[in-house]
Amino acid sequence: MTSVTGAALSASLGASVLAASAGAVLPRRIRPVAAGIGTAAAGAAAVVAGVAAMTGRSWSAWLPELLPLAGVRLAVDPLGGLFIAVTGAVAVCAAVYGVGYARPADGHGGHGLDGRTVQAVLPLFVAAMLLVPAAASVSTFLVAWELMALASLLLVVAEHRHRESVGQAGLWYAVMTHLGLVAILAALAGLAAAAHGESFDRMRAAAEGMSPAVRGAVFVAAFAGFASKAGIVPLHVWLPRAHPEAPSHVSALMSAAMVNLGVYGIVRVGFDLLGGGPRWWWLLVLAAGAVSALYGILQAAVATDLKRLLAYSTCENMGLVLVGLGAGGLLVTADARPLAALALTAALLHVVNHSAFKTLLFLAAGSVLRATGLRDLDALGGLRTRMPVTTAMFAVGALAASALPLGNGFVSEWLLLQSLIGSLGEGGTITAVTMPVAVGALALSAGLAVATFVKAFGTGFLARPRTPQAEAAAESPAAMGVGMGAAAACCVALALVPAFTVPGLARAVQVVLPGQDAVAGQVTLRLAAASSTMSPLLIAVGVAVAAAALLALLRFATTWRVRRRARLWDCGMGPMTARMEYTATSFAEPLQRVFDDVLAPETDVNVTPLAESAYLVDSVSYRARVGDRIESRLYRPLIAAATAVGEAARRLADGSVHRYLAYGFFTFTGVLIVLAVTR
Amino acid sequence: MKDLLRKIRKTGRVAEDPPERPAESAPDALRELGGSVQLRHVDAGSCNGCEVEIASVFGPVYDAERYGARLVASPRHADALVVTGPVTRNMEMALRRTYEAVPAPKGVIALGDCARNCGVFAGAYGVVGAVRDVVPVDVEVPGCPPEPEAIVAALRGLTGR
Repeated sequence: MTSVTGAALSASLGASVLAASAGAVLPRRIRPVAAGIGTAAAGAAAVVAGVAAMTGRSWSAWLPELLPLAGVRLAVDPLGGLFIAVTGAVAVCAAVYGVGYARPADGHGGHGLDGRTVQAVLPLFVAAMLLVPAAASVSTFLVAWELMALASLLLVVAEHRHRESVGQAGLWYAVMTHLGLVAILAALAGLAAAAHGESFDRMRAAAEGMSPAVRGAVFVAAFAGFASKAGIVPLHVWLPRAHPEAPSHVSALMSAAMVNLGVYGIVRVGFDLLGGGPRWWWLLVLAAGAVSALYGILQAAVATDLKRLLAYSTCENMGLVLVGLGAGGLLVTADARPLAALALTAALLHVVNHSAFKTLLFLAAGSVLRATGLRDLDALGGLRTRMPVTTAMFAVGALAASALPLGNGFVSEWLLLQSLIGSLGEGGTITAVTMPVAVGALALSAGLAVATFVKAFGTGFLARPRTPQAEAAAESPAAMGVGMGAAAACCVALALVPAFTVPGLARAVQVVLPGQDAVAGQVTLRLAAASSTMSPLLIAVGVAVAAAALLALLRFATTWRVRRRARLWDCGMGPMTARMEYTATSFAEPLQRVFDDVLAPETDVNVTPLAESAYLVDSVSYRARVGDRIESRLYRPLIAAATAVGEAARRLADGSVHRYLAYGFFTFTGVLIVLAVTR
Repeated sequence: MKDLLRKIRKTGRVAEDPPERPAESAPDALRELGGSVQLRHVDAGSCNGCEVEIASVFGPVYDAERYGARLVASPRHADALVVTGPVTRNMEMALRRTYEAVPAPKGVIALGDCARNCGVFAGAYGVVGAVRDVVPVDVEVPGCPPEPEAIVAALRGLTGR
């Protein structure tokens, strides 16, 4: 318990518990501030613990009395430390932001977010997310995992009194997360049984000697469970429902920290506990990642609900991370370990980057939601002059998320692309076929991401307000600005000097691939495996110099002309109204048309004729909606079948005592007969 | 494609030979345009007779683009306005704003009798007045409607070609 890591992690968990009790007992007036400060302190301590672990100060502890039978076994290695640090950083931003967000906004009557439940559960949720990567035995892991699931579920349904849809979202989330838990439970229990021990060390040692069938089954079950947490298509359906309906700082925590733990689980079980596996595992991971990236970003591109768009973007980014993991695993099987390390580094760096910008984007979306009560991009607009801080923050996040240079998303996607391109010559036919496809998927999703975030920023924040609510928007309180600013600072730091993460990432990768240093350099990133270099800082300086030069040139070129102030050209009639603007729907319409077969949008045209004549039209109503096709095609039939089975089963229990006695009798006789026959 | 090419070959040239170059008549302000005048057409309340003639001026037979005149889609792109019809009340503000939207140096051509002096619509309840009453006019083309030759001559006066 003497190491920095252990002390900081204990301090963090202690601060969470204190914050939770503060949230539960303090009066409403000071509750959000106390709980927020406590959670932020917990997050900060977790960052210290995580960074300490990433610098090589591993830590482990065994607390046999804490849980009956199994005890609590904790161990923080650089890999877990990475996820602890990321979770802590997200928690700091979200907690500071939450102080302002929970305070009722004028005119919207508050969200009820300063209630006891939310304020007490939020720190516990953070603590559970910190425990998951620190767990070193199956029982500890599952307890932390379930605590995390339950805490997040309570937070998702926090606003159930305000909107009908919250309950539905909570139901979807509860079912999906528990089906995921069942899969993980089955996988880890199977692994523990085969290893004759439930500590991760034991399982790591025993995994070598297990039969391929057991290992395969464990991996597939674990992958399914963790993928459902990470929002991987087709297990993503809870994500676009739960993220929009949860309070925004909770959305940020879920989307930027919780989904990461799905990735953590896949790395921990697939690479670490099982020690890698055959090619088909990683092809599965790669395919799931590529499909998820494309489907997620396509849905995001046509979404009009701002938070739903961000949720689908999370599907996309987690998909990209899985592409990296899959490529890494595939390259390990092809014995190209330097490249595999590069792919894993890229994937983990993308986890960090995604957390930074998705925190920022969700917090900014929450700021908009609090100010206007709106999530619909078609109803927003004109926030640039009304909410300048939020607009600037969203702009930083959108640049990062669209994977363009100057944004941090670009760095990790570039690394990923380098590892995929570099691996074309390795590993024979399979990689030669899959890697170009993966590169294509990566490129397409990057392109669509640009369109998506141009749409989100352009229609949501620029132009003129489309509704009175957007017109009346006012800037959010300072605490929210500070929360967003911290996330934005992380984005900028990761975009300009990503090299500061390199040593930590290298240690995290070395947990699963010992002895590999994929990326080096201070200002310029040097990739030994792909023999290429990139310098984000120099790119930024170059862009800044070019922009300054261009501005100076323009100013110089126009000095000799008389500048004339003229009215905006509105075809001479004016004034221009907000109805003339591009909406999010109209901006995405060409894309929707191109991907018509994938998205299958629904359009309804209702023509109501006059009562006197069928030829005279009274009114025409038009409705267009892009639903989630996987949800309607895959889940609806499953739900219908489950409901039908449930209804049929009800007929078995009709309340007649005679029938129940008969069930008992016949079952008993049946068992006796079976026993008599088989013995 | 083959049919199109054959048609082009068979039809040959339909544009009339250019008549003699008329005397330079461009207002001083427009002299610096250097033989190329971009025109924005504004229908201020015309009966569309003048529009038909304008269409034929820029059609293949009279082909005014030979002389450097061109119709454009926005006053921001234009050097001069071609205004037809008497200025109606509904179009008065639009005409003023269109004139303001044209970058200097700029000119106005009042095309047809209605644009010059309201023609048969003079004194009608919806008419504000002639184009001259709303925006300064540089060139006038008489006729109801003016013949294409007259319009071409006026445009060549502006472009100087």
